[in-house]
Amino acid sequence: MNISAIRDIKDWPWLVLLPVIGFVLIGIFAPAIMPYDPSAQDYSATLEGMSWNHWLGTDYLGRDVFSRIVGGARISLVAMVIVLVAALAIGVTIGSFAGYVGGRVELVLISIIDIALALPSLVIALALIGILGTGYWSMITALTLAWWANYARMSRAVVTAELQQPYIEAARVMGAGHLWIFVRHILPHVLALVVVYASADAGALVLAIATLSFLGLGVAPPTPEWGQMLVDGMSYIEEVPRLVVLPGLALTLVVVSFNLLGEAFALQKVPRPVRGATLRRRRRARAREEAERNAVETGTTSA
Amino acid sequence: MSDAAAIEVRGLKVHFANRSGAGAVRAVDGIDLTVARGAFHGIVGESGCGKTTLARTIVGLQKESEGTVLIGGRNRAEWLKSDRKSFSREVQFVFQDPLGSMSRRQSVYQTLEEPLQIHRFGSSVERRRRIAELLDLVALPETVLDRLPRSLSGGQRQRVSIARALALKPSILVCDEPLSALDVSIRAQIVNLFTSLQKQLGLTIVIVAHDLAIVREVCSDVTVMYLGRISEAGVTRPLFREPAHPYSQALLSAVPSPDPRIEAGRRRIILAGDPPSPSAPPPGCRFNTRCPVAIDVCRVEEPMLRSVPHGGVAACHLADSGRRPVI
Repeated sequence: MNISAIRDIKDWPWLVLLPVIGFVLIGIFAPAIMPYDPSAQDYSATLEGMSWNHWLGTDYLGRDVFSRIVGGARISLVAMVIVLVAALAIGVTIGSFAGYVGGRVELVLISIIDIALALPSLVIALALIGILGTGYWSMITALTLAWWANYARMSRAVVTAELQQPYIEAARVMGAGHLWIFVRHILPHVLALVVVYASADAGALVLAIATLSFLGLGVAPPTPEWGQMLVDGMSYIEEVPRLVVLPGLALTLVVVSFNLLGEAFALQKVPRPVRGATLRRRRRARAREEAERNAVETGTTSA
Repeated sequence: MSDAAAIEVRGLKVHFANRSGAGAVRAVDGIDLTVARGAFHGIVGESGCGKTTLARTIVGLQKESEGTVLIGGRNRAEWLKSDRKSFSREVQFVFQDPLGSMSRRQSVYQTLEEPLQIHRFGSSVERRRRIAELLDLVALPETVLDRLPRSLSGGQRQRVSIARALALKPSILVCDEPLSALDVSIRAQIVNLFTSLQKQLGLTIVIVAHDLAIVREVCSDVTVMYLGRISEAGVTRPLFREPAHPYSQALLSAVPSPDPRIEAGRRRIILAGDPPSPSAPPPGCRFNTRCPVAIDVCRVEEPMLRSVPHGGVAACHLADSGRRPVI
């Protein structure tokens, strides 16, 4: 692939959606895809290599690696979606409220947000898991509480900026209430930004989930989880590197594809030169409009 | 509709507190103003004289520090507090910047539909019909409906923002420099639109402007402001013919005439200096620092508004019902 081909990818931003969609589909249809029960142990077939029976071999308990990776995708996807949705909801609510109300309320809330942002999210998550105990749901709670602050900060910034716009005053003059103004005018701007950021953030979250499980603070052992698989494979890294490399690869692919997705979204905001047929089409449309407009405006002055 | 004047402003003061607390900016500093129903009232003055603040305070976008605004005899502050919606069906505001006053995400249709939705006006079919009526009123083609504000021309944008203000059938329209964002070539069209709308709908229009030529053409009454106060007010024609206040004379001398013979002989009064800071107005008459005919009393005593020869009022020690200073 040469440079010009890479540049062309920018013209098809939806291409980066493919790996993400693939990941989501695998996560959703995992039970149908998995050839074996991912936690079923088979001591007659431990640490087997790749074969038609076990596409990616088996681990030290004889569990099918392919099934575990697919099952791990499902776990990561579900946990990631729950955390992201919860963090978005909390962050957007608190941030927007702070930005809209302003004054002392904003000062207090923004201080809380700043404190939350000052600590690395993983540190917050670790501390919370220390309090809540390990387990799937306490991991999700901990990650949510560690993740909302960024969204709160962003929402507040957007709300503050939009409130300055004269069209908000125009809506007030029309008799609109605060709820109307917020839902109709401000929320769309907040969501537009926050969702783009979330698309890139999803990768980091998948990584954080794996990290916590790797440290034994996340998903409990029999459940297939990529971080868990990495720990399990560590002891056999010299004899069977596949056990570490494969889940690691899956993790890397997911994180990279989410990052690309976020990047593609961000690029959408950057205007690109318009060339060729599109340019000619737009010029024609503009000329037509201009003619129409002139006709209308001269028509009204003479009337 | 009651007999009360459309807009009555009494002793209005709007002060903006300084961050340090001292020396608040007195944007509007004691104004009485009455606008009769059906009038086309112009408010003129140089930049920073408080005319925009006055307009914003009339519609409640700005809180008054002192004084009251009565709309059709009703106290605006209480009205807004008790029933914001019925107030907005009575008084509407046209912004200076039509682009900024419309959401950049909403098409023209959505923009025009919004006030109707806020006021729960009919079904979507009835709303569509009303929007068609509005477009007709401001002479816009239906093709603009699915466009975004940024893809409209300046004149079209201002027409849309006027249509939006008219959507709720208000009886009073307050316009904050609706022409200054427009090309000169478009201004005449929008001015004509205002006058025809006023005739058609019987609107009361208050227009803040600094284009005096336009005010002379269309306004029935005019108020000249200087540094947060009214320096002169009256019926447009006689006031423009023989302005009593030295400031008005200077201001009006800046209006070019379309007739080249008059234009060649036109005398221009150039005032020295800048207007004083509205946070520390000079003692006495506010205009005394720049007035070419100021006398001692002007530097000590603030003049009250009094009747002058053209039938209106002016705040000048040298003018009364029988005489006016000429500079």
